[in-house]
Amino acid sequence: MMAVTPDDVKNYIQQGLACERLQVDGDGRHFDAVIVSRAFEGKAMLQRQRLVFQVLGDKMDVIHALSMKTFTPEEWSKQV
Amino acid sequence: MMDAKQIALEKIRKTVTENPIVLYMKGTPQFPQCGFSGRAVQVLKRCGVEHYVAVNVLADAEAYEYLKFYADFPTFPQCYIGGELIGGSDIMLSMAEQGELQKLIEAALRR
Repeated sequence: MMAVTPDDVKNYIQQGLACERLQVDGDGRHFDAVIVSRAFEGKAMLQRQRLVFQVLGDKMDVIHALSMKTFTPEEWSKQV
Repeated sequence: MMDAKQIALEKIRKTVTENPIVLYMKGTPQFPQCGFSGRAVQVLKRCGVEHYVAVNVLADAEAYEYLKFYADFPTFPQCYIGGELIGGSDIMLSMAEQGELQKLIEAALRR
C-alpha cells in the first residue's frame, strides 16, 4: 500500500471542506491537523471531527490516526 | 435473525449503556498499544476515574470491525460516558482541560 503523506491528507480534506486555514503534519501513519473552517460554526468538537471524518470517508482506512484541532475563523483569530 | 453487524452493535449498545464509563482502546490501560489510547487512559486517570470498563479492540474482532458504525466515528480510542460518545483522545483532553469531562463523569457515576 502506498504511504500517505501529510500533503495527501491535506488534499483529501480540502476536496470536501472549505478551509480558511489547513495545516497537516504526520509520519505516514499518525497525522496532526489544524483546521480552520466556517463549516465548524455552531458545532461541538465531536460534530466537527465527524464532519472531517465524513469528508475523508474511505481514506480513513489508510490513515491510521488523525489528531485534530478544529477552529472557526473567529476562534482562530483569538488563538493567535 | 440478526447478522454479525447487528449482534456486534447490540453488544456495544449494552456495554456503553450499562456501564457509566467505557473506553474502547488499542491494548489495555496497563499496556496501551497506541499513543492515542495511552493518552486517553492518562486523561481518565487525571480526572480521578478509578473504575471503568476498558475494551481492548485488538482482542475483540467485532468491536474492532463494527464500533465505527455505532456512533459514526471511525477511529480508536472512543470514550463513552453515560452511554454517549464523548470522542477520542483529542476531545477527552480538551474537555478535561476545561473541566467539562469531570462534570460528565460525576453525573454518570451518580446515576
